[in-house]
Amino acid sequence: MSIVKRRYFAGFMGSQTRWLNKMADNGYRLVETGKLKYVFEKCESGKYIYTVEFVGDRSFEEEEKYKSFLEDLGYRVFYKNMHLDYSFNKLVIRPWADKGGRISTTRSTYNKELLIVEKENDGRPFELHTEKEDRIKYYRGMIKPYYYAFVFALILAFVFWPDRIKTAICGGLALLVTIPAAIIGSKILKLKKEKTVEE
Amino acid sequence: MKDNVKSGALTEVTFFILLSLYEPKHGYAIMQFIDEKTSGRLLLGAGSLYGAINTLTEKGWIKPYGDSDGRKKEYVITAEGRRIAEKELRRLRELTKTAETIIES
Repeated sequence: MSIVKRRYFAGFMGSQTRWLNKMADNGYRLVETGKLKYVFEKCESGKYIYTVEFVGDRSFEEEEKYKSFLEDLGYRVFYKNMHLDYSFNKLVIRPWADKGGRISTTRSTYNKELLIVEKENDGRPFELHTEKEDRIKYYRGMIKPYYYAFVFALILAFVFWPDRIKTAICGGLALLVTIPAAIIGSKILKLKKEKTVEE
Repeated sequence: MKDNVKSGALTEVTFFILLSLYEPKHGYAIMQFIDEKTSGRLLLGAGSLYGAINTLTEKGWIKPYGDSDGRKKEYVITAEGRRIAEKELRRLRELTKTAETIIES
C-alpha cells in the first residue's frame, strides 16, 4: 500500500533528511519523488536510512556519474528539486557551478539540485562527506549560489535607485541571503579550525 | 582529500585507499576494506570516496582497471601510487620510532 505526502523543504536539507528518516522509522520507504510529492510504500520500520545532498553546482554529466557511483555502492538515489516553479524548456545561468553546469536547463540539471540517497540501515550514521577537506569543498559549493544572489540583489538595488520600494525589496533580499550563507560559512570556518590539529 | 604538501604526509584515508588497491577493487570493496582494517573506526562516506578516487586518478596514483564498460568500475594502484605508499610507510616508521623513544622511555 502506498501513501502520498506533499512537502516543500526548499534548501533545508537537514529538515528534509529528518522527515524522511522519521517516515522510515514509522515504516515507510520512499519510492517516488515529484515537485512536492513524495510517494511511500509500507516497509519494515527503520529498515532504511536517508540523507540529502546538494549537487546543484555540478554539471549534468558529473551529476549522472556521481549518481551511478552511489547506485553501484548499493544505494538508491532520487533527484529532487530545490525550486518550486513549474517550467518547461527553461534555461538558467548558474555562474557558481562547475564548468559544464553553468547553463542549466529543464532537460539537464534544472530541478535536479538535490539527491535523496537511501541505504539499508546498518545502525551507523549515514554521511556521504566524512573527510574534513571534502566537507569544506562540499560546503563551498553550497555557499556560492548565495554569494552570487547577494551580489545580484545589491546590483539590482542600485539599478532601481531612487525607487524606494524596489530598492528596499532588493536590499532586503540581499540581507536575507546572508543568513544561510553565514550558517554555511560558520561550518566551513569550524572545519578549517579543526583541520589545523586533526584530519 | 588533501595530501600535506609541506611534509608529504598522506591523509589516513588516502593511504588506506592506496593500500586497498594493491588488488583491484570497486568502490564498495574499498569501503569494506577500510572498515575491516580499522575495525569500523574509520568511516568513509561515499561522497568523500568519490572525490578521493577522482583526485587520485588525476594524480596518476590509481587508475581504472579492466573493462570500463562494466557496470561497477574497478580501480588499481599504479607504479607511482606504490612509490608514494612506500614513501608514506617510511615516514610513518620514522614517526613511530621517534614517538616510541619519547613516550615509552
